[in-house]
Amino acid sequence: MKIINKNNYIQKLGLIALCSTILITPSCKKDFLNVDPQAQQPAVTFWKSQDDATKAVNSIYGNLRTWENTAFPALAVESIPGDDAEKGSSVNDASYLNNFDNYTAGSTEGQFSGFWTGQYQNINLCNQVLDNIPAINMDASLKARYLGEAKFVRAYSYFRLVRAFGDVPLRLNVPKDATEFNIPRTAKAQVWAAIEKDLDDAAAILPQTYPAVDRGRATRGAALALHAKVAMYLGKWDQVLSLTNTVMGLGYDLFPNYEQGFRLNNENNIESVFEIQCEINQSIPGSATSQYSQVQGVRGSVGGWGFNVPTATLAAAYEPGDVRRDATIIFRGETTPQGDIIAATGDNPMYNQKSYVPFSLIITGVNEGAQQNVRVLRFADVLLMNAEAANELNNITLAKTSLNKVRARARGGIAGVLPDIISTDKEVVRQAIWKERQVEFAMESDRYFDVIRQGRGTAVFGPKGWKAGKNEVWPIPSTEIDLSAGTLTQNPGY
Amino acid sequence: MKRIFTRISVLAVFCLLAINVAFAQNITVIGRVTDGGDKSTIPSVSVMVKGTQIGAQTDATGAYSINAPANATLVFTYIGYVTQEIAVGNRTNINVVLQSSSQQLDQVVVVGYGTQRKIDVTGSVASVKGEEISKQASVNPISALQGKVAGVSITNSGAPGSSPRITIRGTGTVYGNTGVLYVVDGVWFDDVSFLNPGDIENLSILKDASSQSIYGIRAANGVVLITTKKGKTGDPVISYNGSVGYKKVTNQIEMANATEYATIINELIKSNDATATPLFANPSSYGEGTNWYNQGFRNALQTNHQVSVNGGTEKTTYNFSLGYTNEDGIVKTQNFKRYTAKFSNDFQVLKPLKIGYTVSGTAINTNDINDGIFRQLYAAGPVVPVYYADGSYGDANDFGLGGGNNFNPQVTLDYFNQKSKNYRITGNVYAELTVAKHFTFRTSAGGDFGQNEVRAYSPVYQATQGQRTTQSTLNINRDENRNWILENTLTYKNTFGDHNLTVLLGQTAQRRKNYFVRATAFDVPYSSDGDLYLALGTASTRRVEDGGSLLTSASYFGRVNYSFKDRYLLNATIRRDGASQFYGGGDLWGNFPAVGAGWIVTGENFMKDQKVVNYLKLKGSWGKVGNAGVPVNPTTLTIDQSGKLVAFFNGVGYTGANVNSIVPSFLNWERTVGTDIGLEAKFLNNRLSIETGFYNKKTEQAIFDINVLQSIGTSSGKLIGNQADFQNRGFEFLATYADVAKNGFSYSVSGNIGINNNKVLSVITGLNPIYAGGAGIANGALATRTIQGQPIGAFFGYQVAGIFQNAAEVAASAQRTSAKPGDFKYADVNGDGVIDGKDRIVLGNPNPKYSYGLSATFGYKEFDLSLDVQGVAGVDVYNANVAYRFGNENFSKDFYDNRWRGEGTSTTYPSANVGSTANAAPNSFYVEDGSYIRLRNVQLGYTLPTSLMTKLTLRKIRVFVDAQNAINLFGYKGFTPEIGGTPTNAGIDANVYPLSATYRLGLQVTF
Repeated sequence: MKIINKNNYIQKLGLIALCSTILITPSCKKDFLNVDPQAQQPAVTFWKSQDDATKAVNSIYGNLRTWENTAFPALAVESIPGDDAEKGSSVNDASYLNNFDNYTAGSTEGQFSGFWTGQYQNINLCNQVLDNIPAINMDASLKARYLGEAKFVRAYSYFRLVRAFGDVPLRLNVPKDATEFNIPRTAKAQVWAAIEKDLDDAAAILPQTYPAVDRGRATRGAALALHAKVAMYLGKWDQVLSLTNTVMGLGYDLFPNYEQGFRLNNENNIESVFEIQCEINQSIPGSATSQYSQVQGVRGSVGGWGFNVPTATLAAAYEPGDVRRDATIIFRGETTPQGDIIAATGDNPMYNQKSYVPFSLIITGVNEGAQQNVRVLRFADVLLMNAEAANELNNITLAKTSLNKVRARARGGIAGVLPDIISTDKEVVRQAIWKERQVEFAMESDRYFDVIRQGRGTAVFGPKGWKAGKNEVWPIPSTEIDLSAGTLTQNPGY
Repeated sequence: MKRIFTRISVLAVFCLLAINVAFAQNITVIGRVTDGGDKSTIPSVSVMVKGTQIGAQTDATGAYSINAPANATLVFTYIGYVTQEIAVGNRTNINVVLQSSSQQLDQVVVVGYGTQRKIDVTGSVASVKGEEISKQASVNPISALQGKVAGVSITNSGAPGSSPRITIRGTGTVYGNTGVLYVVDGVWFDDVSFLNPGDIENLSILKDASSQSIYGIRAANGVVLITTKKGKTGDPVISYNGSVGYKKVTNQIEMANATEYATIINELIKSNDATATPLFANPSSYGEGTNWYNQGFRNALQTNHQVSVNGGTEKTTYNFSLGYTNEDGIVKTQNFKRYTAKFSNDFQVLKPLKIGYTVSGTAINTNDINDGIFRQLYAAGPVVPVYYADGSYGDANDFGLGGGNNFNPQVTLDYFNQKSKNYRITGNVYAELTVAKHFTFRTSAGGDFGQNEVRAYSPVYQATQGQRTTQSTLNINRDENRNWILENTLTYKNTFGDHNLTVLLGQTAQRRKNYFVRATAFDVPYSSDGDLYLALGTASTRRVEDGGSLLTSASYFGRVNYSFKDRYLLNATIRRDGASQFYGGGDLWGNFPAVGAGWIVTGENFMKDQKVVNYLKLKGSWGKVGNAGVPVNPTTLTIDQSGKLVAFFNGVGYTGANVNSIVPSFLNWERTVGTDIGLEAKFLNNRLSIETGFYNKKTEQAIFDINVLQSIGTSSGKLIGNQADFQNRGFEFLATYADVAKNGFSYSVSGNIGINNNKVLSVITGLNPIYAGGAGIANGALATRTIQGQPIGAFFGYQVAGIFQNAAEVAASAQRTSAKPGDFKYADVNGDGVIDGKDRIVLGNPNPKYSYGLSATFGYKEFDLSLDVQGVAGVDVYNANVAYRFGNENFSKDFYDNRWRGEGTSTTYPSANVGSTANAAPNSFYVEDGSYIRLRNVQLGYTLPTSLMTKLTLRKIRVFVDAQNAINLFGYKGFTPEIGGTPTNAGIDANVYPLSATYRLGLQVTF
């Protein structure tokens, strides 16, 4: 009897448990299934504070270091096709990069989509800032400055895109929904106009100097100088002249020692107009992203890959005694000013010295040389743009003043080397300025598009296979055309 | 549970009957009852004198003793075995061999939330016994399923302890969790590599949507139900199983030797730059050089020990087991050790109340290898010695090799120091209560708590120019899982007249939480493992990252099983699931219904008189299942705050954060709808049984991410969504012939084949395909695409039409601007005179069309022999190794021998410059037939005679030798055509883990 009672009791208890289970579960199900994202901040809680705005603007600068912005894709599209640089490395390594040197690269070459992606990633981060920061309740002047910084980087990215591809999709806002994903190419004139507007806005807002803790942000001078460069590509010489004149009054100067200007301890020097800020900080995982120095480093040395190397054409382009030759080119067998001995045998006779990080500063386990800043705009460029604009506007005297200032530094203090240009012939001075640009900015990803801008593509690159009417721009990446289902068109000849 | 109940009650009845022995003028018959399969003795077998109430049962050693008339007939009965009747015929000693009752109609199969008589099943459920799994050399229980079940495709990897890729009736999901659901004693898992195969009682594979739908939320890719061993009433049975053996790599790829390497590298240099000087002045001076595969591979040891104790009374049963597995990898230094302990107890506390638990603990310790080692062994230059005469490492740089093979694989083996430790506790507790007549309430709580720690240390060293570090690094990663599941079910079961009715109602809730911490410290010294603490590193650079995920789900389900006269069967299921993945941006709840019907034709009167068909069942089913295996919070836009967005100003890092992704505004459940028709039949006095069926499975609104325009500027370039419909249609056939033949010879033969056709019905992007398959292909090219009308992840690229023999041929071709002699000549498919993306075509299908298996077992007296043959056909693989080149990587001997090296030398193989962008572009040259057939298992066993056992007071001793993967036949030029990979990246061989054969010697003892 006792057992039976206990059994009954248990059975009743079970029924109660069963009923309560059925009753309780529906009431808690809603909260139970509402799970917050883990270790990721939901975007709806972002864009609320000044701190959010700061972080978002930081991300724009951070992203400039990516592989797409600084390594293979950028070098393939902007440097290797020039006559100052070639693929380098061992013959068999990444031989597809030769296709950029001889202009056979087709729309399927991965570096095109890499370069395209890198620029549009910058643009998205800028658009996020420009769309979202205005609504944040924060310090008004800081807000204005942040918007200016974003506009500068957006303009810089579109400049690289329009130079490389011509007409490109112009996105000045974050797509609101899927209907705004697939947009056609915008005529390049409109893209250039958008770039100019961004730079005007940026220059109007950005300060010329920052406190030391903010060193590396875009300045007014950077916006003006980039605008001058944009105007130069558009042949707007009046504008180039006035912009460069303004920049020349902002306190920049040439760094006295050309070679030293590219070393780590002289980053952000008096000549620097804009640099991509790179560092190795091992306590911040994933931040040593730049492979700019690594991919160009001396091959067979500490981690260098030896790509994008100087050409014999470049080595021969310098006038006798020009200190820039030795400062731009690491020759096989030399000892660098920092004391590194470069093996006399090796895959390549020359390497880029402007991206060089002395071997003693190389750290393994991160991208070798990831601390080297990328020099984007230097005051020397402002001077030579000023010279070219003045010359085109027939102010040959001013042109020569600016030009000779650049030459004087490269003289290394030795009389008779790099004599001043004294010709009064506009064409002679123009050629001298172009030549000066070749040697002054060698291995800085300027030469290729500079020559195309000058209209000399066939003359300079023709022997390597360059074809007018086609090679002024690169092909739109085929993957992107595929994804657009035909909304994007290909450039002629590809 | 139902089965155990049945067993207990039947035993109880027999016990009562056994007391009733009261006849005179009889003789005493004694003997022993053994299992016809594994020769073990069977306790608790009922022995009855036919036509009477007289009975006895066997003791723990299988022995029985019964008083019976000298002319009587004895009936031997035991659940799960074929009943045998034997005439006494004046004998006093009768030994009996019982055959397991796989043929019997009362066979029970495990289905979702219960068991069902096999004859009542209207869906498609395959059952595999634990012993079939545990007898194999496979360390992972799922690996052992290969070739065993029609429609279940297993792709094994050779890595020790690794989990295979399992596909049930074709690939229907391409994203997120594409694996099957494993339910081990009611607890849900994505992977069961922690399970000791020896602890498995039964594996049930739910193949069709109607049987899967009771697991609605996670069932779309199939469900494998695993029941572990439970205690059985009777005296303690102590078993030991052990084996020792070794693994050896099979089908090793022959690489070019040093002379050949030097020759072909010189050709490559010439092809890239006609004016360059050759790297190797005198290739023949290098001789054979280093065979890096031989340097890195070894014959790997494998040992296995397991002890278990099983027994119990009517009130309490128990099963304890301990297992140990030690498996070396075929690559030096790699090792896998697994320790398992399992405890289970069941208590009949009160007449209406039963409680019990199962707890398993697993510890896995591994010595890991660098993932890139197989690439290195393939690529390393054979001209480089392992060591120089002075004992220092051979350096590729000294030979001017560099790029792509700037390493000495021996250095990688020597300096890679990574150890993993994995602890896991899983199990469940339950209570089962008869709340009223015919009503049973069951509640159970299951848990899975695990921790995985990976510790990697790299010292300061300079081995070669490319392999050096300037600072030591210690990485410690710790992963933690805390998952639980609660389930409540109420079952009503009743029989009235000819009607059998079972109704199940249930509710379940689950929570799955993962948390990980990754920490790194630099400049950690090393004199012993005692130094390997983050605390000893440099404080300023020490760093920590963490992350995690959390998923919850709540579900309700119900099922009705109804049969009339054991002839007409009807099953219906519904499950309603809510999953946190869909909270706030999708259908939070999904409904998954299913119905099935069956007709046992042989139960009809008009079939009574025929003798041809012993059993015939027709069945059909329809069901819907879901897949919530998508990333957590897929519709929630989140902020990227990764290191790459950190800005540096004045040398100091500042946090960068921004939105750089896009998410869909709405996401629906991915659903799979399946229809099945099938037939089961037995002929020849039940000796031949066949099962066959057709299925049509359609995945609707498949969830995955597709590439979006890069100009949107997101970090991943992808967007998740409901993007496609897929279809898998197929046919399965299984036939078994078993005979207990005379003269001590018995045999059974079983064969199965599955045919599956995989097809994309539609993609949201229309005819614009999903490209994937970039693994192992240089320069960002993609080798697969998924497009309407083709299989998922079909290989896609150019059709090779030949090799350019000379400059004139190049000049006359569509590739005149880019090609060189020795390059592939591609077919101008669209005839526009240009070779471009539009000329690419489908080149092959990575989804096997046919998979088959053939098993045979033979028994002769004390010997037993089993054979498993298994294979796939109608499948292609992509040999990415050939063209995955950055520089001076080595070539296979096959490529060397057949390469183009001048006009007329080859019309199929290209020149050494196979890695150029144009030649390495995905094309038909790299797509090879992936069919294979292999002798999967062969095992020969010998069981010591029963008479000897009695003297030793042991139940059983069996010794065996076996081999796994001993013979592999295939045409593929890599190590193995068994490649695996995620659905849209499947079948791409980028230096996969090589295949190996295992040879073992084993011992089984039962006390």
